[in-house]
Amino acid sequence: MSLQLTLDFEYKTTIEKAWNALTNSDMLAKWVLPNDFKPEVGHQFQFRAEPNQYWDGVINGEVLVVDEANRLLSYSWAVGEEKHTVNWTVQDLGNGKVNLHLEQTGFSNVQGLEGARYGWTNWHGELGKLLAQ
Amino acid sequence: MNENNPSRDVFDAIADPTRRRLIQLLSEADEIPLHELTVQFEMGRTAVSKHLTILKEAGLVVDRKVGRETRYRLNAGPLKEVQDWVSYYRKFWLTNMLRLQQLLEEEEE
Repeated sequence: MSLQLTLDFEYKTTIEKAWNALTNSDMLAKWVLPNDFKPEVGHQFQFRAEPNQYWDGVINGEVLVVDEANRLLSYSWAVGEEKHTVNWTVQDLGNGKVNLHLEQTGFSNVQGLEGARYGWTNWHGELGKLLAQ
Repeated sequence: MNENNPSRDVFDAIADPTRRRLIQLLSEADEIPLHELTVQFEMGRTAVSKHLTILKEAGLVVDRKVGRETRYRLNAGPLKEVQDWVSYYRKFWLTNMLRLQQLLEEEEE
């Protein structure tokens, strides 16, 4: 499986506060889900959503990259059989504005990873058109 | 093997750039014979044909014989699953990001 979702969102805040929101467990609980996250490479954590009839509500993850100097954070994100990677980048836009960039990718293998990096983004724009045909 | 019960995961099928290019080419025409598809790639007919077989197994292409040639056409239906995945997580993170905006802007006050 090979997919990529990218999102950007602009905030009126400081880069430190944005980084804290991404890495502090209490903050994450307020805007994502309850969790036992720690910004330490190799730390295994869970996010817990409300269980439903299809899913126990558990997201299992492991911290892959914590690069505070460059404001890069990456962790795995597994729901059942599906394993994704979530990458965050915090960018200072100046004038008290900060951009949060999200990339969520899903892969089953390394070839998939390369495949997704090459061309998925452009290709994805075409998907809506294809489905509308 | 039919369109309603594909034997291959659609996500595997689109993991490869050649196969995504094939989907794109097929989306631009009603039906394309194998030899016309092959000239678009720096690989042989057999290799292109193998990629088409994978797309066929995922229900993404349909083929038919016309005389001595095989013609392929796109069946975009299974791509809905891909779109659903992206839509689901887009909505999930956008909702969260809006919540974060409130949190961060409250703090500013």
